[in-house]
Amino acid sequence: MNRPASNIGGIAASPLTNNGDAPPAPRRQFDARGYALDRAPFLVACLMLVVIVGLYGSLQSGVFTLDELNLDTTATLTLLLAATGQTIVLLRGGIDLSIGGVISFGTVLAATHFGDDPGSVLLWSAIVLAVGFGVGMLNGLLISALRLQPFLITLATWSILSGASLMVLPTDGGQVPSWWQAIGSASWLGLASPVWMLLALLVFWFWFRSTRLGIALKATGSNERSAFLSGVSLTRMNLVTYGLSGLFAAAAALYLTTQTGAGSPTIGKDYILPSVAAAVIGGVSLFGGRGNLAGTAVGAFILTIIGNLVFVLHVSSYWQPVAQGAILLIAVLASSLAEKAAQGQDR
Amino acid sequence: MTAFWARNRLIVLAYAAMLVLLLVTSLFSPGFLAESNLRSVVVLAAFVGIVAFGQTFVIIGGGIDLSLPWVLNCAAILMTAFAGGQDVALLWLVPLLLAAGAVIGLLNGVGVAVFGVPPIIMTLATNVILQGLILVYTGGAPTPTAPPLIQFLAVGRLGPVPVVALIWAVLASIAWVLLSRAAFGRYLYALGTSRTVAEYSGVPTLRTAVLTYVISGAGAALGGMLLTGYSGQAYLGMGDPYLFTSIAAVAIGGASILGGSGHYVGTIAGALVLTVLGGLLPALRLSSGALLVVYGAVILLTVAVGSESFGGIAAAILRRRRGQDPAPRK
Repeated sequence: MNRPASNIGGIAASPLTNNGDAPPAPRRQFDARGYALDRAPFLVACLMLVVIVGLYGSLQSGVFTLDELNLDTTATLTLLLAATGQTIVLLRGGIDLSIGGVISFGTVLAATHFGDDPGSVLLWSAIVLAVGFGVGMLNGLLISALRLQPFLITLATWSILSGASLMVLPTDGGQVPSWWQAIGSASWLGLASPVWMLLALLVFWFWFRSTRLGIALKATGSNERSAFLSGVSLTRMNLVTYGLSGLFAAAAALYLTTQTGAGSPTIGKDYILPSVAAAVIGGVSLFGGRGNLAGTAVGAFILTIIGNLVFVLHVSSYWQPVAQGAILLIAVLASSLAEKAAQGQDR
Repeated sequence: MTAFWARNRLIVLAYAAMLVLLLVTSLFSPGFLAESNLRSVVVLAAFVGIVAFGQTFVIIGGGIDLSLPWVLNCAAILMTAFAGGQDVALLWLVPLLLAAGAVIGLLNGVGVAVFGVPPIIMTLATNVILQGLILVYTGGAPTPTAPPLIQFLAVGRLGPVPVVALIWAVLASIAWVLLSRAAFGRYLYALGTSRTVAEYSGVPTLRTAVLTYVISGAGAALGGMLLTGYSGQAYLGMGDPYLFTSIAAVAIGGASILGGSGHYVGTIAGALVLTVLGGLLPALRLSSGALLVVYGAVILLTVAVGSESFGGIAAAILRRRRGQDPAPRK
């Protein structure tokens, strides 16, 4: 029964590497199926965007112009900024409902405190951003220190901030200086400022994802325990991810005031669940660790342009939520089926 | 006794909080404990409790149902539209709409349990789709007033007892039997604690999970129909406040949003706490904004008290105060 040493496990060692050492590692093959399954949700989202834009372009003239790009980006950017923070939190495996409160509170502070002089605008913009970051850090702290569920904690802080917004400004109103509103409609080289902000956001993400923090973020979302064992501080991770989420929500609030010119104590709730929807449509997993901001951007544009499409189809605008819900379902089914297929492959 | 305390600490605390709130409110507004006022508190709480009925089951099972607002709203609008203010049509409308709510719940449950869609996304999608469809159907126009029978069920009285409180009591007994006496309850707690363990232990996890959403859908439809009786008619957006209150009532009642714990007995206390708070703040002459702040603070407080590490931190502080070494940190 003695087997020759070079035939361990019944596999004859290849003559080329038969030097008596450990058997050669099998060559790593490019796993095309795994790669495709990993990217499937993002690719499905891109495909949907192409189809929707194609349909829209065939029904309406002038869709494939810079003007249309400027218009759509201007309309999408608030949602996209909110969804950027949400994406960061989702990648960590959490969820942030408090962004609705941060957005309301931000617009209300801006609309009641912005004076005509740039100094006060700068000061209060900084305060709004600091409030957003601070509220986010507080979320992260509560979630870490008391080991509480993000859903309830951020639901509670959402309620508190919504109430605070109503106390500052009971109804829609207030105003921001006209030069502040002009920022939102300025353009340079034929591209409107929101397009430049979008590009800046994508550049930020390209840099962020390969920083230590970005890598630790995805690692923590994929497997909290192994990230912790690899030296990631979960408390610091929660502080930073929820802090960034609040910061981006505050930025969304500031951008929103350039569009509306006023504050609203209730507008934030319109962005809570759509921000999650945009991320999920773009292939960000609610279980953490999977997805990126490019996908979220695609998701946000889908949600906006579907509204344009409903408009040019000359049907009731009430069909818009139906279409958005259907797209959300298609996207999430695609990603959960891909996830199941990927798991089946691993077994 | 200790076992009872360990298991039901949060529920007992929720009831204690409710009693304290009642007393505090009566200090600030002397008429608050009058019979007529308490009756209106119970009626308002009953609507929260009825809508949160299904949410309780879904959350114990480890899910969440965000589709409640528009399931409720659709049932309310369709009921008033087809009944046209007449009682006779209720004979077929009520069972039909309860079944329709259950079917929506079935869709949610199948999406979550069979296709593995995260509950937040699945129920959010059904919510917006229903919202759109009912808006398309009504075109934004109002519907006729609610039939007299529904109005009687919502605001009527049998002797001193509001009818809707009786309906709530019936639902509460059903919930108690399902959660504490039936195999379904055991399956549900097992599923909410760990789906994998439940599955290996022979719990029909798929059926149990789907059933929670079916209960939730039917419960929301019932709540919607009753609410039309309270406000006299159905209107768009009438369900929106109930998303927050249904989740808050369950959370204040001591259930973990991660599943596996909680009871409808606690949700009842949660619904009462939210309603009494709603009465306390006007007595203090505070605005609706302040009410939201207080709601948020109460949720934070209850989930903090309920968290395991809160007990650990409190114990460590007490020990340090007594001059002993704090427990070694894990």
